[in-house]
Amino acid sequence: MPLNVTIADDSAMSRKGIRRALPADWDVVIHEACNGKEALAAVDEGHADVLFLDLTMPEMDGFEVLTYLKNHHKKIVVIVISADIQPQAQALVYQLGAFRFLQKPLQAGQLHEVLHEMGLL
Amino acid sequence: MSTVQISDDQKDALQEILNISMGQAANSLARLISCKITLSIPQISQTTPHEFSQLFEQGETMHYTRQSFLGDLKGEMLCLMDKSGCDAFAEAMDYSNPPSATELQELILDVSNVLAGACLLGMSKQLTLRNTLNPPMLFDPTLTDFSNLKWQSALLMEVDFVVERANFSSRVIICLEESSISELIDRIDKLLE
Repeated sequence: MPLNVTIADDSAMSRKGIRRALPADWDVVIHEACNGKEALAAVDEGHADVLFLDLTMPEMDGFEVLTYLKNHHKKIVVIVISADIQPQAQALVYQLGAFRFLQKPLQAGQLHEVLHEMGLL
Repeated sequence: MSTVQISDDQKDALQEILNISMGQAANSLARLISCKITLSIPQISQTTPHEFSQLFEQGETMHYTRQSFLGDLKGEMLCLMDKSGCDAFAEAMDYSNPPSATELQELILDVSNVLAGACLLGMSKQLTLRNTLNPPMLFDPTLTDFSNLKWQSALLMEVDFVVERANFSSRVIICLEESSISELIDRIDKLLE
């Protein structure tokens, strides 16, 4: 069974970048979300065993998504990929239950390392 | 008037590039003041000198700085900072309370240089462009003649920084001269290939 993966980012370029950075031989079905609300909808539909989450998004931002997931005890692997590299933002993201924080522009190698580490590959 | 049109894809790419740049700018500022800064989604629009002059209608409540840049792209960065926020900010940075006029001026110029510098540098780096930024100057929009600008149309890129704890908000505006817009778009297209 392939894993369901959702890429949540308001930028089309960034979503494409993340898609490209995923290992080519990774057995996954990829879904996309343009904001936090769509990301949560994807979670509800079971489209997000793994969620790649941007922080600065319209409608509902990544912090709000993480807060919702935490409050509703959703067991989802969230990897935050964001340009908001402030130490306070990273600390908050981990406090809200994200598994890893990766900095934009995304380095494919770093992403592969994280996926390995988590046994997702 | 401008003939350069920006497609949705180009705009999306530019927004993302600015988003990354402002993340770096906010990080520099956050380390300076040990406060978390809330980022917004960058806004991009094309503007005329008249529309441009309307940006300054908040008048008295704001401090304004401008600094020009040269190189592969030519234009100007403007920084708008709300006055009450600057006072709170001075406190957060351990200036005397209330800060003297010189201290306040130094603070405004420092903050705008950090924000504008990181925004421009981040953008140039991602697009492999070379630019140099001149030091910022304070200016008074009521004493500035906006009918005298060098361009008829410019690309306006706006990013907002908010420090909730200090009640500080700031807006950085990158104005690009028309001749530089096509250079910028060229680079973005290369990135999108």
